[in-house]
Amino acid sequence: MNRLRVIEFEFGDAPFNMALDEAIMRAVGAGKSPPTLRLYGWDPPAVSIGYFQEIREEVDLEFCHEKGIQVVRRLSGGGAVLHTQKELTYSFSVEASDPSVPQDIQGSYLKICAPIISALREVGVPASFRPVNDIEVRGRKISGSAQTRRFGAILQHGTILLGMDYSLLPALKVRAEKLTEKGAKDIAGRITTVAEIIGREVGHEEFSKIIVKKFEDHFNAVAECSVLSEDECIAPMLEERYRSVDWTFRR
Amino acid sequence: MYRERVRKFKDGKLVKVRIVIEGGIIKDARITGDFFAHPEEGIEIIEKELIGKDLCNARQAVESASGGITLIGVRAEDLIAMVQECLDSDA
Repeated sequence: MNRLRVIEFEFGDAPFNMALDEAIMRAVGAGKSPPTLRLYGWDPPAVSIGYFQEIREEVDLEFCHEKGIQVVRRLSGGGAVLHTQKELTYSFSVEASDPSVPQDIQGSYLKICAPIISALREVGVPASFRPVNDIEVRGRKISGSAQTRRFGAILQHGTILLGMDYSLLPALKVRAEKLTEKGAKDIAGRITTVAEIIGREVGHEEFSKIIVKKFEDHFNAVAECSVLSEDECIAPMLEERYRSVDWTFRR
Repeated sequence: MYRERVRKFKDGKLVKVRIVIEGGIIKDARITGDFFAHPEEGIEIIEKELIGKDLCNARQAVESASGGITLIGVRAEDLIAMVQECLDSDA
C-alpha cells in the first residue's frame, strides 16, 4: 500500500458516523477513493448494535431515551457497543482485493488491529490481540472491532477506550449467559481504559496522530490528510436509513 | 406458534433461532445474535430457504444456503441443530 488517506478526527452523531463509514467504504470499493483511515468520536453518546442483533434483547431503550443516548444498527455484525464521548473510534476501508490485507477473516482482523496495538503500547498500555476481534490488557477488553465485506471493499471499524463513562453502561442489557462465560460480574469488570492503565487522559487528537503513524508503519504507506470526495457526499442519503426505525428495528 | 433456541458458544457469542411453525412446516425463521456472517445477506438467505420446510428437509435447506457464507461465532452445523431442536419440540 503506498497511499493512505486519512479523514481526521471529529465528533459526529451515530447515524452520521455509520453513514460516513458506509459512504467511504462504497467509494473505496468502487476504486474511487484510496485506502482510507478515518478517526471519529460519538456526540451524543450512542449504542451501536450488530447487524444481526435483536434490538430489544440488547438495549435498554428507556434508559437510552432518558439519557439522550442514540441507538444505531451497524452494517457490521458482532455485539452491542456503548460509545461514550471518551471513546475514540477508527474505521479502515480497503479494496477487497488489496494485497496488504489477508483474505482470511481472522488474519485480516489481526493485521488491521496490529497498528492499534502498537499505538496503545506507545502510550504505555501493554495491549495484546485476543481472537477473533478484540484487544485486551490483562484480560480486560480495551478495544473491539467489527468487519463487513461489501461493495468490493473491506471495512473494519472499532473502538478504543481512551476513557469510559461508566454511568451510561446500563444502556446495554447484560445477559446472564454472557457473564458466566468470562468470569466477571458485569461489563465494567470486563473492560478497561487507557486512562485507567496509564493514569492520565490521552486526548482524541493526540491518540489519533499516533494511530495514523502506526498505520503508516504497519502498511508501509504514506498518510495524506483529505476531505471527503464527491462520491462520499452521498453520506446524508445513507444517514436517513441509519436514522430510520425500519433499519434500526429490523431485528 | 413459535419455538426458539438460544445458545452461547465458547468464544462468548450468543445465537438465537426463532421459528414459527404450523403443522410441522416452517412459516418464518429468524436468526439473531452477535455473530458475524460474510456476506451478511447469507443469513437472510438461510432464513428464506427455511420457509416451507419441515423437519426432514430443514437440514438440507440450511446446508445449501450456507454454502458460500463464512460464519464466525457460530457454525452452519449449530444453526441446523438449533432449527431441528425447534422442530423437535413442536412434534
